[in-house]
Amino acid sequence: MSAGKQVALLAERVCVQLGDAPIVRDASLALRTGELVALVGPNGAGKTTLMRALAGLLPADGRIELQGRPLAALAPRQRARMLAYLPQGHVFHWPISVAALVALGRTPHADPFSPPSEADRAAVRQALTMTGTAAFADRSVFTLSGGERARVALARALATEAAILVTDEPTASLDPRHQLIVMNLLREFTRQGRSVLAIVHDLTLAARFADRIIVMQDGRLVAEGPPAEALSAARLADIFGVDAISVTTPQGTVPIPVRPL
Amino acid sequence: MEHRGGTFYRLVAGLAALLAALVLVSLMVGPAALSPRATLAALLDGEGPAGIIVRDIRLPRTLLAVLIGATLGLSGAALQGLLRNPLAEPALFGAPQAAAAAASLVIAFGFAAATSLAVPIAGIAGAMVSIGGLVLIAGRRASLTVTLLAGLALASFAGAVTALILNIAPNPFIALEIAFWLLGSFEDRSSDHLLIALPFLVASWIVLAVNARAFRALTLGEDAAASLGIDIGRVRVLVVIGVALGVGAAVAVAGSIGFVGLVAPHLVRRAVGSDPARVLLPAALTGAALLMAADIGVRVIPAAIELKVGVVTALIGVPFFLAMIFSERRMLEGSPS
Repeated sequence: MSAGKQVALLAERVCVQLGDAPIVRDASLALRTGELVALVGPNGAGKTTLMRALAGLLPADGRIELQGRPLAALAPRQRARMLAYLPQGHVFHWPISVAALVALGRTPHADPFSPPSEADRAAVRQALTMTGTAAFADRSVFTLSGGERARVALARALATEAAILVTDEPTASLDPRHQLIVMNLLREFTRQGRSVLAIVHDLTLAARFADRIIVMQDGRLVAEGPPAEALSAARLADIFGVDAISVTTPQGTVPIPVRPL
Repeated sequence: MEHRGGTFYRLVAGLAALLAALVLVSLMVGPAALSPRATLAALLDGEGPAGIIVRDIRLPRTLLAVLIGATLGLSGAALQGLLRNPLAEPALFGAPQAAAAAASLVIAFGFAAATSLAVPIAGIAGAMVSIGGLVLIAGRRASLTVTLLAGLALASFAGAVTALILNIAPNPFIALEIAFWLLGSFEDRSSDHLLIALPFLVASWIVLAVNARAFRALTLGEDAAASLGIDIGRVRVLVVIGVALGVGAAVAVAGSIGFVGLVAPHLVRRAVGSDPARVLLPAALTGAALLMAADIGVRVIPAAIELKVGVVTALIGVPFFLAMIFSERRMLEGSPS
């Protein structure tokens, strides 16, 4: 992809209020094509609210653009084809099969009154294969373990084949192996020329996998840059209130929080 | 997927065949029993006393039972899809209670005998007022909880109005007439009742069925469904209106009939792989078959006074429902989060 510098998702001075409370203030960010960006910050910083606004699920002031087009001007289905949103928790309400659940990712593409097209089927197959969930495609989603559910939820988002994936804590409550599997999948996704913005609470994981890190505090984006820079020891102390050490691994230098300050 | 599609069509064909058989039985049974052949002949040529019995008396009653049963089954399935809750049922937003209150009012104050057409018209008007009230109180952007609470308040108020009317009814016969009417019945319903209800029933089917895709996407929760391009606010308003139109009209012509809307979707849910969109048509057919069977039941059970169909659906429905809850505890307890 020659378009490595193109901006997939742009936010300029985005403000979001819930009721009277300003939750997100003047947030500006750019997610470039092929980039994996981690959004980090303490609980209550406004990360999920910002993410929902970027996904078009909350009214927001300011400017949001998807691939150069204003979010507000896009029809919901059009937006849904460009941006896939994976909320936290991976809750499934009916015991449908894994394959049927992943096929929901095709909703914005499907004509409601015709059967799935060959493109739909191919996208579902690819999402199942990529996430290693094809082996249990016929099982009910109620029978899955936490790790399996996370992969199936991700497969659903991938099946949309949107250029942008916005995901809220994709690794929450997963064991270490599944955390790595999910982060690797997000990486793999960006290698296909797509872009990922992920809320990540595990700073070590964020530093290891993200191209860039955006730090959020009290509704504002307060720092942004490569992991080593954005997650400096001073910043971790200041923003997260933790004392952290830096550990150099073959995959790079990562912070490990060791005690609360 | 092809395999599952085949199963679906077999299910629908099987339910349609069952329903057709029940319809034939319904046209046969009554004070003057007819053979299947005589029934079909009378239905087709409409001649002689058999023609009048089958075409003018039994056919409207039969069609009403089928159409109302289908409406209740579809409404239940749609509400369960919207709320992602297998216990949702058509009375949830207060429309049937409002229809019952308005109809009781008309009967009580002598505007009409319980079988006249003023009753269904008032019932439908009552249901419309309750929808209007609900949309007004809750508003288009209201959360589900607010909508449910407003519906609950309206339902309770309508129930209180009905109780008040029974309380102050001018004489005990009228109170008894209302009470019987409220139990739900297809006795003595004519083609006029059918014609009054039909436009509302058909409108409700359309308004509910267009949301099939949304119900499926809602398996992922409201945020994820919205991110897939589904307008959740619109879906919610359409379902509330669709259920109120259909169930309001149903109550208006036949009185209150419980449990069909709750039970019918459950009976077929597993057969469609719990798909909240695919369950709609089989749930409608099952609701029609259940109510048709119950209405045949009240006609063949020997009793001094004909049993009311609403009583039968509740009597059979409740134990059945308990048995189902017991056998499907694991599914009802939901996903592990």
